[in-house]
Amino acid sequence: MSGFEEVNYYFRKAARVMDLSAHVERMLVTPFREVKVDLSITLDNGELGTFIGYRVQHDNSRGPMKGGLRYHPTVDMDEAQGLASLMTWKTAVVNLPFGGAKGGIAVDPKTLSPRELERLTRRFVHQIHDIIGPQRDIPAPDVNTNAQVMAWIMDEYSRMHGFSPAVVTGKPVDLFGSRGREEATGRGAVMALEEYLRDAGLGEVRGKTFAVQGFGNVGSWTSRFLHEKGGKVIAVSDVGGGALNRAGLDITRLLEHARTTRSVAGFPEAEAITNEALLLLDVDVLVPAALGGVINEDNVKEVRAGMVLEAANAPTTPKADEILHQRGVVVLPDIFVNAGGVTVSYFEWAQNIQQFTWEEERITAELARHMREAYATLSRLVRERKVSFRTAAFIVAIGRVGRATVLRGV
Amino acid sequence: MTNSEAAKIVRTILCRGLTIQQTEQIVNAMVPTTVPAGGAVFREEDRAQGLFVLLEGSVEVVKEGGPGGVVVIATVEAPSVLGEMSLITDRPHSATVRARTNCDFRLLTRAQFDRLLQGESLAAYKVVATLADVIAWRLSRMDEKFVELSSRGEYPQPVEELATFKQKLFNEWNY
Repeated sequence: MSGFEEVNYYFRKAARVMDLSAHVERMLVTPFREVKVDLSITLDNGELGTFIGYRVQHDNSRGPMKGGLRYHPTVDMDEAQGLASLMTWKTAVVNLPFGGAKGGIAVDPKTLSPRELERLTRRFVHQIHDIIGPQRDIPAPDVNTNAQVMAWIMDEYSRMHGFSPAVVTGKPVDLFGSRGREEATGRGAVMALEEYLRDAGLGEVRGKTFAVQGFGNVGSWTSRFLHEKGGKVIAVSDVGGGALNRAGLDITRLLEHARTTRSVAGFPEAEAITNEALLLLDVDVLVPAALGGVINEDNVKEVRAGMVLEAANAPTTPKADEILHQRGVVVLPDIFVNAGGVTVSYFEWAQNIQQFTWEEERITAELARHMREAYATLSRLVRERKVSFRTAAFIVAIGRVGRATVLRGV
Repeated sequence: MTNSEAAKIVRTILCRGLTIQQTEQIVNAMVPTTVPAGGAVFREEDRAQGLFVLLEGSVEVVKEGGPGGVVVIATVEAPSVLGEMSLITDRPHSATVRARTNCDFRLLTRAQFDRLLQGESLAAYKVVATLADVIAWRLSRMDEKFVELSSRGEYPQPVEELATFKQKLFNEWNY
């Protein structure tokens, strides 16, 4: 099942619980607009390079559409569609005044020079400038795109439409970016966990054990925050391998090790562990923070963690999700857990619109408010309707998007 | 069947307000008719002969020439009345009636009935009043049917579907 199909699977599951008609379901799933553009640029060697760019705008009933731009060979309309709708539901769960979008370019950026990448990005802006904008559709970094790419987009768009920093988020802090954006997803994930622990009467992060798969942006920041709050992160892994220390890893030193060796593997104060074995550790909380589909039919029966905190997108397959639910293992779903990233993107946009900057404390406090309120709503629904947190998240999202849609009128 | 036996049946099914003499007056104006099993009493599009009182036997009302050929609309058991509208209107029969068993009828032709009316027969006027009652009842049934059919589409109208969705979101799923 591709990411796109999984989004639709969970959406349909919630729609069935709500007993929506087939027509309403189709109305909510169908994207507002899909755009496919030719991106031809002159390469450094003088040859003509031709690429295809995509942008799917899923829903704008709750506000301007928001979603990442990824540069990856597998990008196509199907993938963009599924991810665009996921953004609609995600922004609705944490109650941001945004709709959902997603797009990108089918390209392996490692094959391009920085100058070619800049030309390609500016060309893309030329082709879609009339459908994006601070009040229309606001792109953000995604797979293989970063703050520099966002800076180029902001510059190119501003040349055509006048000074418009709010057209993209995830910009460098020195160019209208926001403080707290880099660590936002990890911070939000830990906030989501704390809300759950408090609500379920399970205490706090301090003293609990964690296994974190993935040590990129999300995994490393999540590990750091867990460590700071007294949690015992006993295992961490990345593509190069893993590190296990049952007494708890020193995350500060591990970050230093990962910075110098570019992997957590070989960390002196730990034994080695594979990515596969990490998922089966007997910990309080398992945090998949890298790839999709890592908890699946093949290994779910051996997963011994007490709960799963989905910091990555779609780390649990629908079948595995069903089995965990039956076993009573609580899964806090991606659509809520990793929404901290887009929430701080919203703060960046709001600061750009206001031409005002917020202190980091304010960012953290506002992020906590959004996560706390979102959790309270989900928790009430889970208790009252006896559904999983994931189904609850989709029900909340469908409700918010649906109410905006019918109030505006069709 | 004797005239007096027939009169009892006619009185029960045609008009309870008729006296015995009045019933006999009507029955005397009727012609006894028999139709063997499988025979046609009258055919769709035939010019209407008059009112048939089915005293004994069983008939079926069929519509011909539909997509499925012949469709049986109803079966009617004695005692009953068929073709009563032909006393008031000249329209041809709208369906075919076939005998399922050997049938015994009394036929009141339009011509005989007109003669009774011209002779200012109170019995004939009572029959007209009964027919008016039957027609009024059928009309009200048709009104009900119309209301029922017009409110029942195979799919709900889009506007109603959206209203249902709205109600659901604001009442049942307002989270």
